Amino acid sequence: MRLSIIIKVTGGILRVFGLMFLWPMAVVAYYEEWTDLGGFALAGVLAASIGQAMWLAGREREPDLRRIEALAVVAGTWLVVALLGSVPYLWVGLAPVDAVFESMSGFTTTGATIFTDFSLFGRGLLFWRSLTQWLGGMGVITLFVAILPRLAMGVGRIFFAEAPGPTDEKLTPHIRQTAVVLWRLYAGLTLAEFLALWVAGMPVYDSLCHAMTTLAAGGFSPHALSIAGYDNAAVEWIICVFMFVAGVNFALQYRALLGRPGVLVRDEEFRAYTGIVLVAALLVTGFLWHAGGELTVAFRHGLFQTLSILTTTGYASVDFQLWSDQTRIILLGLMFIGGCAGSAAGGPKVIRHVLIGRYTLTELRRTLHPRGVLPVKIGGKVVPDGVMRTVLVFFLFYVLMFALCVMAVVLLGTDLITGISATMATLGNVGPGLGQVGPMANYGHLHPLSKLVLTGAMWIGRLEILTVLALLRPEVWRSAHWRTPARG
Amino acid sequence: MQIIIIGGGEIGYALAKTLASDHELCVLDTEPGVADRFGLLDVELLTGSGTSSSLLERARVSTCDLLIGCTGLDEVNIVACSIGSQLGCRRTICFVSKEDFVHTPEGRESLNEHFGIDQVVWPEAQLADAIERIIMAPGSVDAGVFVGGEIRLLEFRLGSDSPLVGRPISALDLPYGVVIVAVHHGETTSIPHGRTVLDPGDKVVLMGTRKGMKALQGQLAPDAAKRRLRRVTIIGGGDVGLRLAQHLDSEPGIQLCVVEHDHARGEMLAATLGNALILEGDGTDLSLLESEEIGRSDVLVSVIDNDERNLLACLIGRQLGVGSVITRVSTPANLRLFERVGIDVALSARGAAVASVLHQIDGGRSSLLAVLEEGQAKVIELTVPTGFPATALRNLGVPNGAIIGSIVRGGQVIVPRGEDRIEPGDHLLVCATGSSAEEIRELFTTGQ
Repeated sequence: MRLSIIIKVTGGILRVFGLMFLWPMAVVAYYEEWTDLGGFALAGVLAASIGQAMWLAGREREPDLRRIEALAVVAGTWLVVALLGSVPYLWVGLAPVDAVFESMSGFTTTGATIFTDFSLFGRGLLFWRSLTQWLGGMGVITLFVAILPRLAMGVGRIFFAEAPGPTDEKLTPHIRQTAVVLWRLYAGLTLAEFLALWVAGMPVYDSLCHAMTTLAAGGFSPHALSIAGYDNAAVEWIICVFMFVAGVNFALQYRALLGRPGVLVRDEEFRAYTGIVLVAALLVTGFLWHAGGELTVAFRHGLFQTLSILTTTGYASVDFQLWSDQTRIILLGLMFIGGCAGSAAGGPKVIRHVLIGRYTLTELRRTLHPRGVLPVKIGGKVVPDGVMRTVLVFFLFYVLMFALCVMAVVLLGTDLITGISATMATLGNVGPGLGQVGPMANYGHLHPLSKLVLTGAMWIGRLEILTVLALLRPEVWRSAHWRTPARG
Repeated sequence: MQIIIIGGGEIGYALAKTLASDHELCVLDTEPGVADRFGLLDVELLTGSGTSSSLLERARVSTCDLLIGCTGLDEVNIVACSIGSQLGCRRTICFVSKEDFVHTPEGRESLNEHFGIDQVVWPEAQLADAIERIIMAPGSVDAGVFVGGEIRLLEFRLGSDSPLVGRPISALDLPYGVVIVAVHHGETTSIPHGRTVLDPGDKVVLMGTRKGMKALQGQLAPDAAKRRLRRVTIIGGGDVGLRLAQHLDSEPGIQLCVVEHDHARGEMLAATLGNALILEGDGTDLSLLESEEIGRSDVLVSVIDNDERNLLACLIGRQLGVGSVITRVSTPANLRLFERVGIDVALSARGAAVASVLHQIDGGRSSLLAVLEEGQAKVIELTVPTGFPATALRNLGVPNGAIIGSIVRGGQVIVPRGEDRIEPGDHLLVCATGSSAEEIRELFTTGQ
């Protein structure tokens, strides 16, 4: 592992990242909330100068990334980006732990918040909060791969290391072109939602923020009561549609949009995803209806909350903390599924569940036919053993991480429901949990150490765990050196 | 006719044996050793590669009427045919065993266009298709389909309790649209007439419409037609096994199991086939066959590249209780032997391919559709010439050794009776033994 290259590539990304702070500054200027301007300016200058310094420090002329170096770049970039992103929060007076929590929650598209009183914060800051999710939704690195013409050789490695779920689809022969295509699609969908929400009667500013956080499957809302605060059925239906879209593999959507809608039906993950949405939504609707609600309203909230939790968006159209245990356990279960690989959604991903299911059935079949050749197949194609193994290991670590975080959070003094759901909601990048971190509550009252643990959970959850864990191997650091020794 | 045969293997020898007396033959092989066998035949033998143009010129390729590439290597056959046609050979026939480009009609066309190959013969595919038809027609022994599946040919071995036994054919209650076109009794095959009485143990060949055949199967093999899910085991996932498995895999109502000893090949099969169970192991491994309950299969097909092992696998299967066993035979001499020791159907890929090539060389306006009982009888298609006067079938004077099984007229299939008329433009499917095929062909030629 060559540190100079990691520094160089990370720096290259950071200095461009600094430009992102211009957007909230424009919003600040528009609404003339000049007190917040300093935070963004400071953060922008910091990012650009640190990035430039790192770029210069890593003096490799033609950086080519090896696999482990790409992992380090991804993990490092996300961490530094989240830290720099917390500067505006610090500026308005948040405690450092809270600021980092909020920033990480933004970039990882979690949507868990420590904000209690939204009226304390200006529109610029709330816009920044939504923008962080939008940037994180398609992937910070995907964005910079798209923007920067020649970041490094082997940039494909970081591209895929960041991509959510086991996917390695290249839509075009060039990785950069793929990144551009994905970002265009993402931006186009965001624009479509923005216009739809605006037409449906939401204010322009709110429409923009919600469009960004829906497509990112993030869930931050500039409204303290989330979507429930608008009390507008049309808005909820529109958001339902775009949450569903945000949970679908963007590469698949791109191919479907190219005029081959059949690929959607043939895709096993998409079918499973749609099935889960329908079954869960109908179950929730049934329970709500049974508890004495009007059927159409029950269905609207049932579908909305199912999509919001499954796609790990985390909006609330209603305070589902007040729902029955039957419905809440369904929502908790959905947190453990997540959206499709290659989408903006978090969680363990539908495809991994499908794979684990297939694998289990195959192993059962193997006991009946000990000498059978029984491969696991998806869409008629054999899943290589190596992929299957990483999926299994991913689940093991996911469960292990989950258990460790729950232990930590509960030991630090929360109740069990809160601890379990808060961990699930942060590790899966969902956002709101149940109990004291329910949709109308927030994470602000947790122990500072708990907040740190959960911040880590968000980071690890977004980068899909193994990426980060691989970096903890001692041999990675033993072999770390500043620069490649000159070859004789 | 001047004919060049590239390759002196089984196929080359079988072709040469039949063709040598009437045609001017030149056989090319890289092995001088084949001379032992070909020495007895009246052929010219050249040693060397069929892909060498100088050798082909020595074989007088520029004046030759037909070049047949039938070595064991597809590539050699293709190149030899291609060079042959470049050098002026009038017609080329190429044998292939596995090449993917013959899978599609476009692939075949491109062979013709780019390589100058007039006809591709793919014995393995023909064999796999034949086995598939047998499996898909429960209770029958051999089968063929013509006219896009509208007409079927089934061969049944009669049990002592068969409803067809013991009465003259004219008194049988056959479904409408079905006619018995050949009877195989003991060692001889004959064309039946109304007074023929069938005995238990005979094999009868029936031709009929799809609907009529379905009704017939219900009569003759009520058990097999009723059973919905049928278990099929294929031993050996080679070229034939894979092709067969691919066809059966998607078939509803068939539970397929393929036994393949090679690990990598097994994985390939498992990747290709969606539903079939692939077992890694030897088809003659008794403990494997027992633990997987292969004995409960309705059909066991053994298509390994080794006659003896095929026989062994089939006999073990039979011992374990498999309903019927089918095997492939490479050495034609084994055909009769295998059926004698209890294999229900033994098929030779090369035998059928050779017969079809031979027919093309000799046949005039008719085309051969199927060969029954190793050439004792064959099914041919004739076209009634335009000038032919419309005649009732009974007045036509069809020779004794031939029977008109069906008439195809403008896409419609008629299974004729005595009063039906034969009209110009009709396509006739005729089953004939020995020289009767020539006689009936003459009948329509003279009428012109």
